[in-house]
Amino acid sequence: MKVLIVDDDTIVVESCRRILHAEGIVTQHAGTVEEAKAVLETEVFSAMITDIKMPKQDGFKLISWVKKHRPEMSVLMMTGYLTPDTQNTGLNSGADAFIAKPFTPDELLEQLYNHITCKF
Amino acid sequence: MKLKLLNLIYSTRFRLIASLLVVSLLIGTLSLIVGGNMLYSSVLTETRTRVREDLNVAKLLYDERIDAIRMVLEIIADTSEFKQALASGNYLYLDKQIQNFSGRVGLNFAGIINDNNESYGRLNQQVVGQVTQAVMNPLVVRAFTEVRSIAGTFVMDEQSLRYENPELLIKAQIATSENLPAQKDLKSAVAQGLAVGAAVPVRLDGKVIGAVYGGVLLNGDTSFVDQVGETVFRNEVYKGRNVGTSTIFLNAQRISTNVMNRNGERALGTYASSEVTRQVLDEGKLWTDRAQVLSDWYISAYEPIMDIFDTRVGMLYVGTLEDKYLDVRKQAIVLFALITLAGIVFSFVLGWYVTGIIMKPVNGLLQASVAISNGNFSPDIGPPSKCDMGLLQEQFKIMTEALQEREKRQKEESESVLIQSEKHASVGKLAAGVAHEINNPLTAVLTFTHLILRRQDLAAEVRDDLETIASQTERVRKIVKSLLDFSRQSRLDPQPMDLNLELAKSVKLLSNQSLIKGVELSFNGATGLPMFSLDRNLCQSVWINMIMNALDATQPGDKIEVSTQQVISDDKNGAEIIIRDTGSGIEPEILDKLFDPFFTTKDVGKGTGLGLAVSAGIIERHEGNIRVTSTLEEGTCFTIWLPAIRLLGDHCSYPTKYLRRGA
Repeated sequence: MKVLIVDDDTIVVESCRRILHAEGIVTQHAGTVEEAKAVLETEVFSAMITDIKMPKQDGFKLISWVKKHRPEMSVLMMTGYLTPDTQNTGLNSGADAFIAKPFTPDELLEQLYNHITCKF
Repeated sequence: MKLKLLNLIYSTRFRLIASLLVVSLLIGTLSLIVGGNMLYSSVLTETRTRVREDLNVAKLLYDERIDAIRMVLEIIADTSEFKQALASGNYLYLDKQIQNFSGRVGLNFAGIINDNNESYGRLNQQVVGQVTQAVMNPLVVRAFTEVRSIAGTFVMDEQSLRYENPELLIKAQIATSENLPAQKDLKSAVAQGLAVGAAVPVRLDGKVIGAVYGGVLLNGDTSFVDQVGETVFRNEVYKGRNVGTSTIFLNAQRISTNVMNRNGERALGTYASSEVTRQVLDEGKLWTDRAQVLSDWYISAYEPIMDIFDTRVGMLYVGTLEDKYLDVRKQAIVLFALITLAGIVFSFVLGWYVTGIIMKPVNGLLQASVAISNGNFSPDIGPPSKCDMGLLQEQFKIMTEALQEREKRQKEESESVLIQSEKHASVGKLAAGVAHEINNPLTAVLTFTHLILRRQDLAAEVRDDLETIASQTERVRKIVKSLLDFSRQSRLDPQPMDLNLELAKSVKLLSNQSLIKGVELSFNGATGLPMFSLDRNLCQSVWINMIMNALDATQPGDKIEVSTQQVISDDKNGAEIIIRDTGSGIEPEILDKLFDPFFTTKDVGKGTGLGLAVSAGIIERHEGNIRVTSTLEEGTCFTIWLPAIRLLGDHCSYPTKYLRRGA
């Protein structure tokens, strides 16, 4: 299982990476939407965990792009500002699940397994 | 234009003037009709009486004329010289006498006859001889028969006229006017003469030796009618016509008159109207009424003229021109009309003036109302009126003062609301920004703490410390979450709900906690509450928060009462939720700050100070309001008012605002 983590804040990326590594999941990461797209061009992932508020292009753009080019990949969006609006926009863009920052390792894994693994 | 006209019609000024005008018109018209007619009829009656009297005077003059002739003849006949001359046949003397007295009295004809019916002399006639029966003067015949003076009216036929004087016949022949149809014996009338005169027997030594007679032919005679005109009517002329007229008729024909025809000539030969002829000549009655004389109407009086044989041979007439009296009526009507007009003008001016006086304070109040509606709460209402309007002005003043007071209060209230909402907004913005930035490092702290805690080789002391870090980070997470909730103002998701049911649920949810604390928590829902459209989760969080606050403020043995009641506020139906506790109460000085964000009375770590601020925000967004009253050591009472669903027609509908938000 291979998961792509997209966030401009490295500490968040690192946190996610550590949680997933502990579960034996392989991770790859990107700091911007452009970078994520480049990675997705070359590699195949089971799932992607992406932040929404990022410089230049936001997470919604990335989710839409992913749904177009990698429809088989699950998407978990995470945000520090989870409002019903954000939630709806994300789900409409194609996200499979969402999680509000901050979270505990168990919370992240729960969301990941509940909404992502069922796709395998 | 039409509206303007309507406004005018409904204006007080117009109504007042109109009513005054109606009154003056009514009175004016009434007096015009009644007064005009009464005046006319009284004048008419008066005139009739006067005309009748005038007729009497005319008749008197007529009789006097006859008497005058008789008296002169009697005097002549009584002189001894005259008697001797007649007895001795002194024609010269007799003729001289005839000339003499005829000239003095103005006789047309005169003569002396002896007892053998022989003429001893006649006026202007030298013929002496036997007088035939046919031409014998009827006066003389009667004078001989009755041996006394006979005087009066008599008719002379063609023969006797010619006998007396052929000139008289010419004078008597009056051309018959072509305009009036003849009544009866028209032909004879033309050749007849109406005469007045007297015959006096001459006595010598107790024996009648003859008679002297004389008379005046009335046909064409002007002296009598002119005398009447002069004596009775003083020759008054009105509009070129004689006011008073008099006429002598032979039968129905005018033979002597001062009535003028169209050409300004005496209307001789014309006829009286058939009506008058019938009544006066045929029936011998008096006539006093309007009568048409030629083309004009006269108020007239007629009476029959009797001859010496008591036969109706003609009529005597006097009349007054009706035009004069009609004009009096016309003048009266014009005068009344003028008075009415003056009344109308006066009432118009009066109405205008009075309305001005009445309406001045009203207009002042009107302008003041306009000023008030434009936001000026201290308008000028004009000088105080002394009439009833003054009372209104006073009340109006009181009202404006009350409005001013209210405006001031509302301004203060809205200012405080504004300050509050500004506070909320700025705090919200700050919170949102901070929360977002804090969440990333918090994620790391939470993640790594939990990852370390997973390790089994940790010393108990380290594990304790790590758990403290974890729990305190959780605390930060909660604070940040409530900050976000506070700032988020997420969309309302209103659903129709039974308020009592929702409250009962919340109360039940907290009943365990209250039981543990030893506080009596009760709920008392009012019946008959309307339906509400509320965001279930948000509202529940509000009253749970409120009840929790109450629990925090109470000690074992205290009471918390939650109740509802239907309340209509600002014409809107709704209900109040009252949460009353018998706890410690709130100090008055901090009562104002209760709804400020981050204000808390709880110990550090026990409250974020956002609960009430968030609650107040939620209630406000439901268009409701929240207020608090409290007494130290006695308890606190929170009252939440929420508007009910507005019912349109026979189905429920949510306020449009909520519909839009929910869509």
